[in-house]
Amino acid sequence: MSNLESDPHLYTGVLDDREDHAPGDAPEESAGHWVRNANIGLGFSIVLTVASFLLAGSNAIYAPAIPVALIVLAIAQMGVHLVFFLHITTGPDNTNNILALAFGTLVVFLIVVGSIWIMANLSDNMMPTGQLMQMQR
Amino acid sequence: MLGKLDLSAIPLSQPIPLITSFVVILIAVAVLILITAKGWWPYLWHEWITSVDHKRIGVMYCLLGVVMLIRGFADAIMMRTHQALAIDAPGYLPPEHYDQVFTAHGTIMILFGAMPLVLGFMNFLVPLQLGVRDVAFPTFNSVGFWLTASGALLVNVSLFVGEFARTGWLPYPPLSETTYTPGVGVDYYLWAVQISGVGTLITGINIVTTVLKMRCPGMSFLRMPVFCWTALASCMLIVATFPILSATLAMLTLDRYLGWHYFTNTAGGNPMMFVNLVWAWGHPEVYILVLPAFGIFSEIFSTFSGKPLFGYRSMVAATLFICIVSMMVWLHHFFTMGAGPAVNTFFGISSSIIAVGTGVKIYNWIFTMYGGRVRFEVPMLWSMGFIFTFIIGGLTGVLLAIPPADFVTHNSMFLVAHFHNVIIGGVVFGIFAGLEFWFPKAFGFRLHEGWGKVAFWFAFIGFWVTFTPLYVLGLLGMTRRLQHINIEAWRPWLYISVIGVGILILGVISQVMQLVVSIRDRETLRDVTGDPWDGRSLEWATPSPPPFFNFAVMPNVEGEEAYWGIKLRAVETQQLSPEPKYEPIHMPVNSPVGFFTAFFTTVFGFAMVWYIWWLASVALVAAFVGFVVFAWRDIHEFEVPIEQVASVDRARRAAREALLEKLTRQEVLP
Repeated sequence: MSNLESDPHLYTGVLDDREDHAPGDAPEESAGHWVRNANIGLGFSIVLTVASFLLAGSNAIYAPAIPVALIVLAIAQMGVHLVFFLHITTGPDNTNNILALAFGTLVVFLIVVGSIWIMANLSDNMMPTGQLMQMQR
Repeated sequence: MLGKLDLSAIPLSQPIPLITSFVVILIAVAVLILITAKGWWPYLWHEWITSVDHKRIGVMYCLLGVVMLIRGFADAIMMRTHQALAIDAPGYLPPEHYDQVFTAHGTIMILFGAMPLVLGFMNFLVPLQLGVRDVAFPTFNSVGFWLTASGALLVNVSLFVGEFARTGWLPYPPLSETTYTPGVGVDYYLWAVQISGVGTLITGINIVTTVLKMRCPGMSFLRMPVFCWTALASCMLIVATFPILSATLAMLTLDRYLGWHYFTNTAGGNPMMFVNLVWAWGHPEVYILVLPAFGIFSEIFSTFSGKPLFGYRSMVAATLFICIVSMMVWLHHFFTMGAGPAVNTFFGISSSIIAVGTGVKIYNWIFTMYGGRVRFEVPMLWSMGFIFTFIIGGLTGVLLAIPPADFVTHNSMFLVAHFHNVIIGGVVFGIFAGLEFWFPKAFGFRLHEGWGKVAFWFAFIGFWVTFTPLYVLGLLGMTRRLQHINIEAWRPWLYISVIGVGILILGVISQVMQLVVSIRDRETLRDVTGDPWDGRSLEWATPSPPPFFNFAVMPNVEGEEAYWGIKLRAVETQQLSPEPKYEPIHMPVNSPVGFFTAFFTTVFGFAMVWYIWWLASVALVAAFVGFVVFAWRDIHEFEVPIEQVASVDRARRAAREALLEKLTRQEVLP
């Protein structure tokens, strides 16, 4: 008892410009744009990678600040990958991707921080495993 | 040439596995001969084995799950009867065999019984409820199913060739390391679970993508049936946590095969890290199972109460709340491992808080029934039995969430009773309710109602008679997995529990009878309308069984309860919507790649278990080649001609005209 006479593949309503697209139904991106985008990303990531290698071996900045600088460069690298290679943007078509990214980050945070906390707490409260096995003997 | 494999792998000296294996092999050969004699192979190959139709794959998932449930139940019968016979007596299972039985029971019930059934429901229902024609990646879907079947096959092969793990369903090191378990049992476990885990991950990705990207026009998130929400939450958990399981088992595999030291006692390994990681998957896993069951109950409560679901939005919020919080409670499985009060308190509180989300759902279901015209059909009986059972299971769970109380009941029969209470009361009752509810949609005829009610009452009473004594035993101090018992006070409770198992066996027989009787009487039980229960979501807008393209034209959804709205409008206007303009439909072509890949992963797993390196390499390459060939194919869709679409849909419309007349006459609708 449906009454819409169209196939989603042919659906060309106004919504199409704003909403998410089904896999394979995304509007064609021009090849030139795609290549340019990927090349900019490649350029950025090379610059960031080279910078971190140079920085690690140089004394251009205050030595104890080097780890912090490397972390900053690493986070920038992640950003470049997300924007240029994984096409995460602030556009309305990207809500799902942003949410998925946020969910993934939350899960990794919970598991990693939770595990570190649990395991550190265990080692604080218990003698090392080897010693424990000795005692059981 | 054959690695560690030789004739001593066949359990010639153990009558139970030997006879069982022979019976299973005889049945399998008989089935194969029957199929060959009847000439069913082309049909099976083209319509089922290579099918990429989400409904067919869903049905195959459920079939696999049901068969494995019976296998797991056989293990359960052996454990209960053995314990009853092992009080100051030897019993009939030697320790090394008994340990395999409880390991196989847990592994099979969770990973190869409940998981395939839950995934089967999601596969079958999500596209139909969202008003679309298939899942996002149809061939990938077939690969996922066959990998799960591959894992299930490996577990069952271990019965006849070699042995299964004796470690419990989560193989805790150091026991599961080669030092203490040199045999092939843990290796069977590792490869079976690893292969089927990949399959589950594939299906999870598929369903998440389908729900996020493939809804029909007008199906906004807050118009989706609750089952789709729970499927989404469950599959988000699959995508988030199954990689943890894969990584953890891979590390144990490296320990066992290459002598590494992730989880050993020596050389810097830490067995507790395994426990931590495996439960970081293991706890979300139980919500992966129970969330879709909650979705099934939501559909059933609203359909059989003749009312929209009470508090739809709070139901969605509770589902997502459970989805997130379920990843913050895993330590409650090992409160006794030695963490300090800060850690134990945090996880104790978070475990109690997760019950709030479930409580919201329980109240919503009760308020859905309140003031409704409740029909006590079989799916509704299972659902009401679920509410009663699950509340008690949930309360004992909150009890176990309190660390000091857990120190008394940890690893006791109280714990065993608790998790069977929630898994059977929640997941298994949900599966049976769902099978009863959607069977007519999948096969075109209803299941026999009388046998269904008998099956419910046997299962419900049998459950309580089996597991109430286990609660008592736990509080009397009985630990789980005991092969020998020397405390006289436990005897009566163990005997009562065996009586409960007997009632459960009657329940299983009734289920089988229900199926047999229903197939025999299928003409009288035929569902001609496609809407046998007065349903409310879009799957009931299709004929039973639905055509392979589901919908001739895409539905246009204008509110919650899409199909109910269409039905109301048809009754008001006394006519169906005008006949749509049909167009040809493009559907994916069938593909043997799933079966091909799974065949070789099975060979790969078997070869790895027995250290047959050349065979493992050949099989791995072959499985990969299958994928490469698939990636190079040119034709991946075919066109369904307009005439076929139109004739299928006109037949459906004719059936709907008849239904409309009936509805108007009976004034079923307000």
